[in-house]
Amino acid sequence: MTGPRHRSDLDALLHRVARRDADALAVLYDHTRARVYGLVRHVLRDSGYSEETTQEVYLEVWRTADAYDPTKGSALSWLMTMAHRRAIDRVRAEQAATQRESRYGASAVEPPSDVVAESAIAADERRRVAECLGGLTDVQRQCIEMAYYGGLTYAEVSQRLSANLSTIKSRMRDALRGLRNCLGVP
Amino acid sequence: MTEPTDFELLELATPYALHAVSDAERAAIDRQLAAAPPSVVEAFREEVRAVRETMTAVSVATAAEPPTRLRAAVLAAVQPDDGRRSRWRTALLAAAAAIVVGLAAFGAGMTLRPSATPTMAEQIMAAPDVRTVSGQLAGGTATVVYSRDKNAGVLVMNNVPPPSQGTVYQMWLIGDKGPVSAGTMNTAAVAPSTTDTLTNLGTSSALAFTVEPGNGSPQPTGKILAKLSLI
Repeated sequence: MTGPRHRSDLDALLHRVARRDADALAVLYDHTRARVYGLVRHVLRDSGYSEETTQEVYLEVWRTADAYDPTKGSALSWLMTMAHRRAIDRVRAEQAATQRESRYGASAVEPPSDVVAESAIAADERRRVAECLGGLTDVQRQCIEMAYYGGLTYAEVSQRLSANLSTIKSRMRDALRGLRNCLGVP
Repeated sequence: MTEPTDFELLELATPYALHAVSDAERAAIDRQLAAAPPSVVEAFREEVRAVRETMTAVSVATAAEPPTRLRAAVLAAVQPDDGRRSRWRTALLAAAAAIVVGLAAFGAGMTLRPSATPTMAEQIMAAPDVRTVSGQLAGGTATVVYSRDKNAGVLVMNNVPPPSQGTVYQMWLIGDKGPVSAGTMNTAAVAPSTTDTLTNLGTSSALAFTVEPGNGSPQPTGKILAKLSLI
């Protein structure tokens, strides 16, 4: 129920949320919760933190829905960007607080098949994403895993891999272009 | 056409869109964008948009169902005016409004509009530093949504059983000087979904819950049932 083809539905829901329509937030939550919670949990690796952060994401939606501008991107992208930002902020805060070793090593993209049991997201859509992720080179995928899911900055990725900064930036850019083309993202 | 610095700026669009820059770098990039030519800004924004749409498409790979209790917690937090405690609070607000209306009538021409004043819960939700913390409490869930800036929080309890007759749940803000009572809830006050407002968080680092006899105690005597860290 959450694919780009439903873009206008989510736009309409966000407009209602901006007018303090709690029922619209409930519907929005039901349409997007698996994506939001799943991404947050994949970054945080802790179900308690992930529940808290997911709650914060929807509170932020409630608070800032009127700032969503459909000309700058899809509603789902606006929401997922917010979810990712909060998850990354939390993982960095936790790491700074505990001086814990980064958990990027555990953040490899899992085979999607067993992640979603009963979700509205179609199986063929997941298969396609898995194929596109599989189409990246190992070093490209590693960059995405360490940065996007592990919370490292590109500079930290470059230190860990003993690669220079421009190499890492190129790998990230090439990884994203590959995924974008493979997925047919406009 | 494009200066080397503009090229370097565009190279950072992907890490920026992936949140793979430090806070300091992000601020520096934002400053550079503010001073960059429109064509560079447009190219940067388009790259950010495309990266974010792409990772949104990729998010089907990480999708996972949250626990069902999260739905109630999310919705309770945006509907603080739900449940018995809020009826009591609504009555208080109505009383306060009546006083304000009285004052307005007394002072000619005053245009006080109490209905336009955001509730403390709304102010907390609207605070930029709003945070949420949850924990198990007597088989239910206690969630605190709070803001250090506002020095206040909203407590939401879902499916917490009422305390036994003759006792109350007592909330304690734990700070440098030990626990300070943050109020009590008796059997009648605890509904399947209960909200309460916490004021004067101060420098407290946690909210703890105990069961206390009668109408509560000056210091906790019961064992701590739950403790939520206020980061």
